Amino acid sequence: MAQKTSDKIKYKLLKVIDVSGFKVFDPVIRLLFAEEPRKQVQDIAKFMLLPTVFVLVCCYIWNAAGPNHKTKSGEVPTPPKVWNAYTDAKRFDERENEKERAFELTGSKREEALKEAENTLAQLEKEAAELQAKSVEIAKKGQEKIDAAIAPVKEKHDRLKAEYKEAQAQRKAKETELAAKVAAKEANSEALLTAIKENSEMTEKEKDELKVISKKLDEIRSNPPEEIKAAQLAANKAADEVQHFKKVIDYLTKGNREQKKESYLAKVKESTAALAVAPDGKTALKNAKSIVSNEKKAAKADEQKYPRSATIFWQTKRSLATVFAGFLLAALIAIPVGIMCGLNRVIMACLTPIISIFRPVSPVVWLLIFQIIIGAFFPDPEKHPLFVFFNAQANPLSFLQVNPAMIFSACTVAMCALWPALVNTALGVSSIDKDHMNVAKVLRLGFWSRLFKIVIPASLPLVFAGLRISLGVGWMVLIAAEALSSSDGLGKFVWDEYQNGSSQSFANIILACFVVGIIGFFLDRIMIMLQRLVSFDDGSATA
Amino acid sequence: MKIKSIIPLALTIGMASPAYSEQLDVEKDSLKFGFIKLTDCAPIVIAKEKGFFEEEGLQVEVIAQPNWKQLLDNVITGELDGAHMLSGQPIAATIGFGTKSHIVTPYTLDLNGNGITVSNAIWEQMKENDTALDTDTPKHPISATSLKPIVDAAKEEGKKLPMGMVFPVSTHNYEIRYWLAAANIHPGMYTSTDLKGFTDGDIELSTTPPPQMPATLESGKNVAYCVGEPWNQQAVAKGIGVPVTTNYDIWKNNPEKVFGVTKEWADENPNTLIAVTKALIKAGKWLDQTDASGKLINREEACRILSQPNYVGADYDIIKNSMTGFFYFQKTDKRAMPDFNVFFKYHASYPHYSDGIWFLTQMRRWGQITEPKPASWYKEVAQKVYLPEVYKKAAAMLIEEGAITKDEIPAADYDGYKPATTDFIDGIPYDGKKPIEYLNSHKIGNKDDPALANQ
Repeated sequence: MAQKTSDKIKYKLLKVIDVSGFKVFDPVIRLLFAEEPRKQVQDIAKFMLLPTVFVLVCCYIWNAAGPNHKTKSGEVPTPPKVWNAYTDAKRFDERENEKERAFELTGSKREEALKEAENTLAQLEKEAAELQAKSVEIAKKGQEKIDAAIAPVKEKHDRLKAEYKEAQAQRKAKETELAAKVAAKEANSEALLTAIKENSEMTEKEKDELKVISKKLDEIRSNPPEEIKAAQLAANKAADEVQHFKKVIDYLTKGNREQKKESYLAKVKESTAALAVAPDGKTALKNAKSIVSNEKKAAKADEQKYPRSATIFWQTKRSLATVFAGFLLAALIAIPVGIMCGLNRVIMACLTPIISIFRPVSPVVWLLIFQIIIGAFFPDPEKHPLFVFFNAQANPLSFLQVNPAMIFSACTVAMCALWPALVNTALGVSSIDKDHMNVAKVLRLGFWSRLFKIVIPASLPLVFAGLRISLGVGWMVLIAAEALSSSDGLGKFVWDEYQNGSSQSFANIILACFVVGIIGFFLDRIMIMLQRLVSFDDGSATA
Repeated sequence: MKIKSIIPLALTIGMASPAYSEQLDVEKDSLKFGFIKLTDCAPIVIAKEKGFFEEEGLQVEVIAQPNWKQLLDNVITGELDGAHMLSGQPIAATIGFGTKSHIVTPYTLDLNGNGITVSNAIWEQMKENDTALDTDTPKHPISATSLKPIVDAAKEEGKKLPMGMVFPVSTHNYEIRYWLAAANIHPGMYTSTDLKGFTDGDIELSTTPPPQMPATLESGKNVAYCVGEPWNQQAVAKGIGVPVTTNYDIWKNNPEKVFGVTKEWADENPNTLIAVTKALIKAGKWLDQTDASGKLINREEACRILSQPNYVGADYDIIKNSMTGFFYFQKTDKRAMPDFNVFFKYHASYPHYSDGIWFLTQMRRWGQITEPKPASWYKEVAQKVYLPEVYKKAAAMLIEEGAITKDEIPAADYDGYKPATTDFIDGIPYDGKKPIEYLNSHKIGNKDDPALANQ
């Protein structure tokens, strides 16, 4: 009996990982339940360990080969550098959180936090100053090293340059001399021609030699020793942190929401007192106005929110929201239209030209078209009911900051994700077993019951297969659309980083590449899961 | 008795004076401003980060924009409340070159700050053409005269050298055209059918977004470009090009970027606009603050702020190069350029009419304005776009609050026209009150009927 329960659990687990598309873990489960341990160990080695080793080898090759490829934007970042970029991005996010907290803290908690922040700042300032001093020292030493390396090359360069210059002048003098002789018919004109040719060749050669040397000089100058860069980076990071804490203290004192409110209220009090003893109408009016406006401000202060900077985490959330909005829109259009196409050949014939022409159009073109068309719907986005609704403080989605750019990014996603779902749905419906339809005819089922009892259930596996492709396409398209439309999201993150062109940018772009890839992977798994849940067969191979 | 009656009076006066520094009653207190990743967006970023906007009761979000066109479109559609703009943008939008919309500006963000960079190969050839350049520290200003033979040689081969500028109505476009034309290289004309500005040109000058400039130089898509910082310093740092001149040499203390909003927005939010201008003036003053020895004391902190990835995002060291009063022309050639970025001194932030008129003359000179216009039209457009009244109101309030002094802004009777100047690379005098005469004093470019000067 006990055997049976464990079997039950085993098969249930196997089913779960099968449906969720993680069939790789199959042997692990079987091994845990001691089923053919030998075979399972072999399977684990073949299908889990080997792939892991392979990925690690790829990482190793990346790590080793990256630094060898030097670009003008720095060398290709290695895995540790990308990881560094991630920790920096995380720190940036944490800083935003800290500032937001500082902005919102009240009462004694604020005072405590202020004290703590001041202590941290004092300590950080000391550290930063030390690091800065150290960096300067290292830079000085490094500069000496560079100067030492440059001096002999430079000396050679200058010497050769002077020599060549003189040689060229001499050759030129000889040329003129020879030319005079030719004119006087004392020498052969042929000789003059060869002389000129030889001289220009000589000059070219000398120039090339000098170029090689000056290139060497450049190389030494543009590749300062690693330790200089490292020390500078450390000093810069410390200085950044110092600045951050200064800002936090700012948000704990005069920038704090409660403090601001209090200062408005204090002003109200002050003006009220002044109003009571106002000597003339003008002062009275001014003070009364000040009371009203400060009271209004104090009331508004409660609603104030900390203006967060965009961080990669927030941008990821926003990208996900956009892609799902676009995907839903695509599904809502594609499935009904697809079903109609599948059911009726005339409709299919009508839609075929439209589908065939618009399907291959690039997402970039769609984006521009939507930008123009949809832009016209929102002449004043601030006051448009749609955005007012989404961005109202009570709305749980208000953190997304929905704006027109997000809407047309979502529409672009929908436009491009539409086609695979549509075509697959049509295919699914039109390839329903004739017997099923005949049964429906025999039973005299109405249109709707035929639709919901037979057509949809029978075509669901293909519909979901189409939706899975759609979501994949949508995610790919979205990143490009965001980059172009500067709608906040991962695409904009990549584009901004490219525009920043800092020493960190390349690593950040690769970081974004992994974030996009990993999220795409999970989206795909979710779709596989849905597809498996509605399929009757065991599903196609997962990739 | 007398003393007793004075005390409450003194108290009242004492209390009334802070009421002067009262925050304005702003119509809209949470704002979104756009910017392009260039160091001259500094006043907007600093006003936010140093809390100057907050002091005026404004919550401001500062958002990077992908390019100038999108930035302008976002301002027009109301997605943004205001933005960091090229000086030519409000003017061009108002007269309808490109997207048409009435844009106004109460504040000039900065002077100077651009450079012209040529590729290493071109620099080598320029050095050959003019041996005086062949040292580590050549004499400045470098004119395009030594570039002329290279352009001619390329033309003989049937090629027009490709060069880059930032935007058709950007200062960079007019500056590189000015620099080339001063050396008798025709940069090409705009016509009603040629909106790329290639007609009759000896070279081909096309639009490239600033951050892509170094990449285009490296790939050979451009052999020279004119752009703001940090993209010239980046070319030096990456070793792909040599800045030959800055726009300070082309025209000393030329206006560069402005803060622009739509006319509609300005009319709806008059107090907010004054409050924003106040904050920007404070930020400009902060950026230009010097100690007794003339060293810019706040610039390092500003660079640190600008190097954050959500602002300019370039490396701190690169931003620092030009912002702290130095400029690297080559790795071996670091020069002091205290006026490379001017944000406030020389009355820089005031919206001078004469600045607007200079841009209009350039638009006419290169054919962006296709029809001849009378002198009075130039004046009208400048008055439509520039809002010195807003600036004056903001400045007056700041003087009362003690944040700035009277001599830091132009005198009350100032008419908005800077005195005539010959501070150009070719020495041609410019007087904002005589646009037609100025137009006709150039060798290359459109010339208009002198009779228009009096219309």
